[in-house]
Amino acid sequence: MFRWPVPLLWLLAALGCGWIVLTTPVAADLALFASRADPVAELLLEQLRSGPTTRLILLGLAGDTEPERAAVSQRLVERLRDNREFARVANGADALPEAELQALFAYRYRLSPTVAPERFTVDGLRSGLQQRLVELQSPLAVFQKRWLAGDPTGELLTLLKQWQGGLREPAKRLGVWFAPDGERALLLVETRTSGYDLAAQRHAVTTIRAAFATASAGTGVRLEMSGPGVLATLAADTIRAQAEFLSTLALAAVVLILLLVYRSARTVWLGALPMLSALLAGAAAVDLLFGKMYLITLAFSMTLLGETLDYPTYLFSHRRAAETVTDTVRQLWPTLRLCVATTMLGCLAMLDPDFAGLSQLGVFTVAGIAAAVATTRWLLPALLPPHWAPPQPTAIGPWADAALRPRPRLALALGGCGLLALLLLIARTPTLWENDLAALSPVPRELLRLDQDLRTALGAPEVGHLIAVTAPDAETALRHSEAIAADLEDRKRAGLLAGYDGAMRYLPSAQTQQQRLASLPDPATLSANLNAALEGLPFKPGLFAPFLDAVAAARTAPPLRPEDLRGTLLGTRVNALLFPGERGWTALLPLSGVQDARALATGLPQHQASRAYYLDLRAETNRLVADFRDATLVRIAWGAALILAVVWLGLRSWRRVVAALLPVGLALVFTVAALLALGERLSLFHLVALLLVLGVGVDYGLFFSRPGADPDSRRRTLHALLVCCGSALTVFGMLSLSALPALRAIGLTVSLGVAASFVAALIAARPLLTKMS
Amino acid sequence: MFVNRWAGLLLCWPLAGVADESALSQVMQALAAVPAVETAFREEKTLAVLDAPLVATGVLYYRAPDFLRKRTLHPHPEDYEADGHWLTVETPEAGRRQFNLNGYPQLRPFVEAIRATQAGDQAALARYYQLEFQGTPADWSLRLTPRDADAQRYVAAIVLRGRNGRIDSMETLEPDGDRSLMTITPR
Repeated sequence: MFRWPVPLLWLLAALGCGWIVLTTPVAADLALFASRADPVAELLLEQLRSGPTTRLILLGLAGDTEPERAAVSQRLVERLRDNREFARVANGADALPEAELQALFAYRYRLSPTVAPERFTVDGLRSGLQQRLVELQSPLAVFQKRWLAGDPTGELLTLLKQWQGGLREPAKRLGVWFAPDGERALLLVETRTSGYDLAAQRHAVTTIRAAFATASAGTGVRLEMSGPGVLATLAADTIRAQAEFLSTLALAAVVLILLLVYRSARTVWLGALPMLSALLAGAAAVDLLFGKMYLITLAFSMTLLGETLDYPTYLFSHRRAAETVTDTVRQLWPTLRLCVATTMLGCLAMLDPDFAGLSQLGVFTVAGIAAAVATTRWLLPALLPPHWAPPQPTAIGPWADAALRPRPRLALALGGCGLLALLLLIARTPTLWENDLAALSPVPRELLRLDQDLRTALGAPEVGHLIAVTAPDAETALRHSEAIAADLEDRKRAGLLAGYDGAMRYLPSAQTQQQRLASLPDPATLSANLNAALEGLPFKPGLFAPFLDAVAAARTAPPLRPEDLRGTLLGTRVNALLFPGERGWTALLPLSGVQDARALATGLPQHQASRAYYLDLRAETNRLVADFRDATLVRIAWGAALILAVVWLGLRSWRRVVAALLPVGLALVFTVAALLALGERLSLFHLVALLLVLGVGVDYGLFFSRPGADPDSRRRTLHALLVCCGSALTVFGMLSLSALPALRAIGLTVSLGVAASFVAALIAARPLLTKMS
Repeated sequence: MFVNRWAGLLLCWPLAGVADESALSQVMQALAAVPAVETAFREEKTLAVLDAPLVATGVLYYRAPDFLRKRTLHPHPEDYEADGHWLTVETPEAGRRQFNLNGYPQLRPFVEAIRATQAGDQAALARYYQLEFQGTPADWSLRLTPRDADAQRYVAAIVLRGRNGRIDSMETLEPDGDRSLMTITPR
């Protein structure tokens, strides 16, 4: 009966961990990479998470005839326009609805940048009136004359130009946006939710598809969709589908291997217990310590925990019918303990208070490995019948001895090759790393090209260059933005950039608005000026009474604030560029056609209460990833030193330490060399995979150099490591066949690394030991 | 006399439509046969907001099938050029701006009212307007009423008058009572 407390304890622990895991949110974003001590990184991540550019969905309508494409575009807009999911649905037709025109007209004296004292003098008014006369003469007058009586200075016209000029507008055909070649009708949709809220984005995509299905019924028009959210959804879906397919396949293969090798169904489910414990314990530990888990931590940690699959195999292969399971475990324990200690210490080095993601990875793995080894050490013996042993593999005799015979010359040659490969790697260091995140995108290339095409055609702001202003309140942010805009205007003239946008274009700061209103003369003066200006002009007397009333009313109007614009198109545009966050307000000035980012970034006007940052999103993201990688590398170096120390503590002999660790060093060098030979550039995914190779390789070295092992025991070790290596090769070999860069990187690296570790440990560990004895 | 006139009208009534049709197509054919035109114009706009009409003068150029240029010389220089789908507007202040007519559907009827008429392209005219022909090929008038509700907001009707393959005037009537009369004389 003494056997039951352990499984019961395990079950309780597993249930507890499961409950913690299920009640903690999982976040899917890039914060993993960011250092907390970096304000630019924080802004950048906020942008990547929820910035206006991430909320855009770009639509292209191709196929059928031009009129059909235009008609479908129009019907699609009508279907989507009233949907609360979308902040903006535009296809170029009817850029401003009547209500918005009326709103702009009502706010004209506060919003128009041309409002200034000289505009309301006799001369200013007269020149405005003459300009209106010229416009009346034009054939286009029919569209404008209704504003004449209230707006003789033409402020509405200025505002309309401002509204349209924010972004480069695509060419129109049949009244709607079209790509320059006319092959695609174009639409722009802005969701209210962030582009990285995958559930919401998926819903938006479904809504658009459904609306398109009805709008295009009976035509041959095709829908093309792109944008950060669409791509992110697609990436998540592709990764999930591929990972699910490949892991199902791999699971089946591993089950088959275990069944073939051990001829026992028991080994299959018992073999899965340590890995399961590791996942539960790791996830629970992260959740408890950090309150949430990043999706990417989960993915990386699962890779790292691949090592735990080996632990039960060590036990199964070393089982002998003559001894009890507990005895076998006891014999293996010193080596197994060292295996676990090395991995745990290697991961402990990852704990870095500045990098949440890195720390999560460390915590996850340390907790997971501890749980896995505890499961192997205490739970498995409790669940296995005391004298259970797998059927003796018949063929484990002669060929095993042949394989295990020490070959010093081969070992020497291997070492020489390793040295050569190392020199090659050092020479190649500058081109070793892949810093471009985009190269790792799981999105197919043709879709990325479509995204680029649609973006260029629509003149949508690229997820590229922007200036971000952080300020304690909206007014300060707007004032600072205005100062920057004045500066950008100069730089635009100097040819440093093609254009810029920003909330201050549409909603000036209250200070600026008040200055404008202060430039409006009092009713008596204005009336006198107007009468003088009208002298000799053919306007009917009394025509401009609405103008006099509007100016009189405007003089006492309060300035418009962002919240006054809620629910209007103007408000939507302002909200996308000026929004409150955790620490005050952020204003964004997206730039287009940037010629010289460095020159723009230097000399940004700064204010006392607010700060302006120049963000080159792509470069910054890549820098973040590179920083993260460098931090990881330093941590790995510390981890390696710790591993060395703990192995020395465990083995108390430098020769045995060398016998255990040199093979894995060689294996890592060979793996990286092989990756480079295959044309890969090392990314984060490769690095994480190399960490797993390190953990597994150290185990192989430790087991092959196990002291005091008799020939039979050595054969069993070979058997165990063959099974481990074979299953790892199967699982990760399948991953390496994936078309997704991330999965492929992990699969390829681990397959190569495990094979190299096995071969290196087999060839080098024994000669190093025998030479010693 | 009185009775006779009525009788004559009654007799002719069933034939009137047919006569219009054939007369309209005769006029259209005559207009279509003209390869190029260069004329002077005088435009008089009567607007509710103004005491006196606005008068502008300039030159009209046409080349078959779809090039039309309205060059205002006085009092304020302004140049409108419609060539195929493209409309180019040039003013001393704003410089040269090009629009694709397909992108501004509200402009199209204005251009076609005179360009398609001068081209004798009845089908193009009928796409934007309901046509009402009166008179004889030697002295005709063609009333164009916009079909599109959006266009009706800006134009009540356009009346063109002419003799055979020549347009003498074009009068634009706006819904608010404003109107503009452009008289065309050969140079």
